[in-house]
Amino acid sequence: MSRSPLDAKVSSNLIFILPGLLIYGSLVFGPIIAALVLSLTSWNGISAPDWIGFGNYISLIADEVFFKSLKNNAILMIFYCAVPVCLGVALAALVWNLKQKEQLALRTLLFLPYIMPTAVLGIIWHWLYNPAFGPFNQALKLVGLGDYALPWLGDFTFVLPAVGIVASWYFFGFCMVLFLSGMQRIDPSLFEAAKVDGARGIRTFFFITLPLLLPEIRIALLLTIIASIKSFDLIFTMTRGGPANATLVPNIYMYQLGFQLNRYGYAAAVAIVGAILIFVVNYAVHRLVRPNHAGDAS
Amino acid sequence: MFRRLISCSASPAVRRSAVLAGAAIIGFSLSGMVRAETLTVWDDHDSESRAAVMAELNGRFKEAHPDITLDHTIRDFADLNMTLKLAVSSGDGPDVTKVNQGAGAMGLMVKEHLLVPVDDFIAEYGWDKNQSESLLARDRWSDKGEFGVGPTYGISSLAEIVGLYYNEKVLADAGVELPLKSFEDLKAAADKIKEAGKTPFMIGTAKGHLTLHMLAGITQAHIDASDRKALDDLVYGHGGTFDTPGNVESAKIVQDWAQDGYFFNGYQGISGDDAVQLFVSGEGAFLISGTWYFGDMKANPDIHFMPIPGPKGVEHPLSVGGVDLAWAITSIAKEDGTKALAGEYINYMVSEDAAVTWAKAGYLPASSVPADADIEVTPLLSEGIKIWKSLNENNAIGHYPDWASPTMLKTFDDNTPLLLAGQETPQELIDKLDADYQAYMKSK
Repeated sequence: MSRSPLDAKVSSNLIFILPGLLIYGSLVFGPIIAALVLSLTSWNGISAPDWIGFGNYISLIADEVFFKSLKNNAILMIFYCAVPVCLGVALAALVWNLKQKEQLALRTLLFLPYIMPTAVLGIIWHWLYNPAFGPFNQALKLVGLGDYALPWLGDFTFVLPAVGIVASWYFFGFCMVLFLSGMQRIDPSLFEAAKVDGARGIRTFFFITLPLLLPEIRIALLLTIIASIKSFDLIFTMTRGGPANATLVPNIYMYQLGFQLNRYGYAAAVAIVGAILIFVVNYAVHRLVRPNHAGDAS
Repeated sequence: MFRRLISCSASPAVRRSAVLAGAAIIGFSLSGMVRAETLTVWDDHDSESRAAVMAELNGRFKEAHPDITLDHTIRDFADLNMTLKLAVSSGDGPDVTKVNQGAGAMGLMVKEHLLVPVDDFIAEYGWDKNQSESLLARDRWSDKGEFGVGPTYGISSLAEIVGLYYNEKVLADAGVELPLKSFEDLKAAADKIKEAGKTPFMIGTAKGHLTLHMLAGITQAHIDASDRKALDDLVYGHGGTFDTPGNVESAKIVQDWAQDGYFFNGYQGISGDDAVQLFVSGEGAFLISGTWYFGDMKANPDIHFMPIPGPKGVEHPLSVGGVDLAWAITSIAKEDGTKALAGEYINYMVSEDAAVTWAKAGYLPASSVPADADIEVTPLLSEGIKIWKSLNENNAIGHYPDWASPTMLKTFDDNTPLLLAGQETPQELIDKLDADYQAYMKSK
């Protein structure tokens, strides 16, 4: 049997991956390295940058606004990660027991928000929350609950949950579909054995389904955590980080520093710290959420 | 001769042709050089009605210059601010652009030699005869980075006054007598409207800068034109402080109104534009903002406009305002021919013909409108023109305080919601504004 030219040594095949490598390098590695270098400078975006070493990173340590943005991001993680994963698992368990047609209909319906661009969702929800024109407050007033018709996106207490709920609504359908596909992977004989042993509903869920879904839960956590740390468009279209930085997250802070205040070096430092955070948190998830391979039916 | 031509009683079409032909002739004589083939223009006229005016003006300019291509792009204010500096510095921006005055945009671009002085065009076309010295000073930056002095880097086509919109019908229903002669009258009227169960002030703080306009408007209404030097020095970067009793008192008045229910219920969750739409629909008695909303406000004939009245004893209170973003020539226009064409273009944008077009659309032009111009001025615009004339005569056009430093607008945005919510005292707000200003002064 003749050998394919692609079976040759890596060095000989380098030419084939070179175009892709060049594109990837210039569009991904290039900007990352540029951001890294920029973060060590003071640059207003026009004149030549001044080298200041780790000055931007030292300033970040004392930057109250940056820490506020991190705190907001940590709270938003509850809505981006915890709520969708919990809701997704619960809904997957419920939908799993439905007949095929109902399951398909519900799965499609609940997954729908995920196919929308988050910037569009932000604009729509911004209108839904509008205290003067939005249907939420109109409905509250209609049923005599006018006292609860609050300026949701302008209220310091409720603005973060109000934005977070949209993120939860966006992600829970995706998590549910992911978990449903995970359930298909579980060997049905395990459920039958549990049934023979007398295990019912809740016990089966906690002792069979949930442990065997850990690979999917880990994936869902990784993706939603990354989404929460890199969140920008949803928050930008809804509040632009306001009021008074109440929904500011590092990426919006980075945008403001760079494009509004012309502090590109400092903005790059915020971006680098954000990227490091993604790596650290994801590594922690990798280490902490480990599937039980002994019980894995696959 | 040029001015005589347009002040004669020729028909608008003839007058327009004369203006454009004159501009073209002067443009040629100015340059005596090869003409540019393409002129790239950016502006911020993003609303439907303003974009329509620009389309009309550009169309006429093109008619007079059939040999050139006009590459026109409209960007909203934030987008223009964000992209202009980067685009011009990378050599890929417009030849002619609108640019925000103040340290954050024009000041920075001048410092980096991204804008070209227009003094030669001012002398050649006589722009200084159409606009006052105090208005042109807002487009001046010295080589040392001083604001208000040195070469001129732009000129505006629209005037702006931040003032008091009031709904005559709502006021009459509440038993408020007009005119409001003093700030005390305004406060008493607000109390009366509140007692009548209506909303005294329509405002929206989720997006836009209505709080800034209200704060600055009230503060400057308490300053007599004869005492304006401290404010001029502050904004032009000559030094000073935001920590004045007047600023603290104004912040307290606004905070009290917010806390005591004088603002539209839910104001924190609606934008400035939403507030304007609600005001036009009859909600609220007063709205403090600028003349750029004339186009929207004319939909409700009960709405009128006046300067924010000063307290008793202040004869000529200042009104925040000035001019809209300036037309400027960037360093992209390297060739003499391009610069000459850019000068011609700006000359047409600040011409009386353009002023008439803006006035017809309900906007307040910075250049004078000919007395015999064939336009039907809306009552609002008529009030605006009268106020503009009076403010100019009394040297009572104030300043946007956010021009004082490149970061001042953000400092306002970050802190005014806290003030209104009662989470920051008036003194704390003023301390933060002053800290921002002093940090900028130190960095200069």
